[in-house]
Amino acid sequence: MRPSLSLPAAKPRQRVNRVGYDRRAFAWLLNAPALLAICVLSAFPIAYSAWISLHRYNLQRPHAFKFVGISNYIDILQSPEFWTSLWITVEYTVLVVMLVVVLGILIALLLNREFPGRAMVRTLVLLPWAIPPVVNGLMWQWIYDAKVGALNGLLVSLGLLDQYRGWLSTPTSALLALVFAEVWSLLPLAVILLLSALQRIPAELYEAARMDGASKSQLFRYITLPWLSQSLLVVLILQTMSALRAFDVIYVLTAGGPGTATTTLTWQTYLTTFSNLDFGHGNAYAWLVSLITLALALAYFKVLYGRGDIEA
Amino acid sequence: MSTLPIHFFTAGGRRSRRTAFLALAGIAVAVYILAPFCWLLLTSFMHERDALTVPTQWIPQHPTLEHYRTFFHPSGANALVGGRAAEEMLPGMVNSLFAALGTAVANLVLGTLAGYSLARLRFRGQGALLGVYLGSRMVPGIALIVPLYLTLKNLGMLDHLSALITTYVTFTLPFTIWLLKNYFQTIPRSLEEAAFMDGCSWLQMLIKVLLPVAMPGLVSAAMFAFMTAWNDYLFAVILTSTTASKTLPVVVAGFATDVTTQRTLMATGGVLAIIPPLALAFLFQRLIVQGLTSGAVKD
Repeated sequence: MRPSLSLPAAKPRQRVNRVGYDRRAFAWLLNAPALLAICVLSAFPIAYSAWISLHRYNLQRPHAFKFVGISNYIDILQSPEFWTSLWITVEYTVLVVMLVVVLGILIALLLNREFPGRAMVRTLVLLPWAIPPVVNGLMWQWIYDAKVGALNGLLVSLGLLDQYRGWLSTPTSALLALVFAEVWSLLPLAVILLLSALQRIPAELYEAARMDGASKSQLFRYITLPWLSQSLLVVLILQTMSALRAFDVIYVLTAGGPGTATTTLTWQTYLTTFSNLDFGHGNAYAWLVSLITLALALAYFKVLYGRGDIEA
Repeated sequence: MSTLPIHFFTAGGRRSRRTAFLALAGIAVAVYILAPFCWLLLTSFMHERDALTVPTQWIPQHPTLEHYRTFFHPSGANALVGGRAAEEMLPGMVNSLFAALGTAVANLVLGTLAGYSLARLRFRGQGALLGVYLGSRMVPGIALIVPLYLTLKNLGMLDHLSALITTYVTFTLPFTIWLLKNYFQTIPRSLEEAAFMDGCSWLQMLIKVLLPVAMPGLVSAAMFAFMTAWNDYLFAVILTSTTASKTLPVVVAGFATDVTTQRTLMATGGVLAIIPPLALAFLFQRLIVQGLTSGAVKD
């Protein structure tokens, strides 16, 4: 692995590019279209959102647009809804990320071994990745259905369940149902990344360690895990972001219910903005979600940089 | 799909038993992945009354293609409950295809330019630029939706595919740039230098030399952009309102929240929405994995 932040050594002098452009101007020229798009449709909306979040702005009373400073944020931080949805977000995210990482490692380890039918399973694993979240939600909504769902049908016919039950109508099972649906759809990316990391581990390492009498668990602990760590962190970042943002699947599957059992911060933001039409508080919520995401991302990146595993 | 080697039963032996165990685990994974999807697929071939039986009917007793026909001739004799939603299906599919392809192509053009500059040129502000790109990805979509709606409304772009494409491009570009930058860095510089020696202009070098070599990176970047655009629901539902720009997820979610729609019809809609991305994913499987793993994660 290369040390962190090392860029390939720069040429001694600022050379003029062969085509005759000054290099710096040329570089910015190449970036101009991308920067323009991101400024207009990302940076500007972000700033606009911050501006709205400092105002009282409710579409039900559209003329009362009034600067209120940070009082929207104070309202939110003092409201029980925020803390409830924050806690649900934490539960949901931790469960999803944990399951994806554990299952991802197990499946990647399996697919790294020789067995008949391996190529086929490797291809199949991609399947959930190609399924749009809305369709994924629809599919699971049906599997969990209280009256005719496949899960009920399966468990009852196997004798594991006495009678059909509404998986989406009790708080705990609704949250778990949502977690399983999300895990199923997030797995492929984790498996691809982890499998390719496993394939890069030199076989000699294992042989040498076996010679020294290392046990299987020691092989995993001292060779596999360290070699996997970089990809594992990438998987952690990507999946945490995905879980924090989950919207479509909640929209289709539980709509935040029963009660507030699956109302995550993202869903609470949506409710505040589009049900209550309270754009002031809605945008303040949005900013809080962004700040939490950003803080987590920075923490992860710090870990990655700190370990010297990733390049800028 | 996998057969146990015969000596597993006769001679035994640790090795073949281990293989059998792995194969069984492989079957378990395949079932876990396939079962939910198969249920959706099977339901799309069932009559509504068969889909609602208790105990559950696993294999359609009276398989039918009527729901698939409904989508292609929505106003004919097949017009069932939910026929109106069915009418939106085909336009939705066309819109989704245009939005996704447009996003993918725009990503490749803009991403190649920016990715090249970050991979090959040294200039002041490079780190900051990459920070801006990656930072813009950290903001969740839900945070942008209101200001984005207002901005696009002022630009008069609501309910146009162009609004969707520009939005998706903005969200997918940072990842594309990052992936392509890393991919370009894995390609030896000598290739470009040789092209310049032969008198190629920068653009000729890019098109004739660099891009063909970077194909796996380009394919996986394009696939990710395509998938993001194809899958998006949140922005599509806010920015579109008629069949002029409604995409598939909006139409399908319309079914899901409409209690009068037949479930079997919904399942068919779901299957139709899955086919294009599934076909692409399997078609380009090797290139995607190759581009993603050498481009996105570096040793």
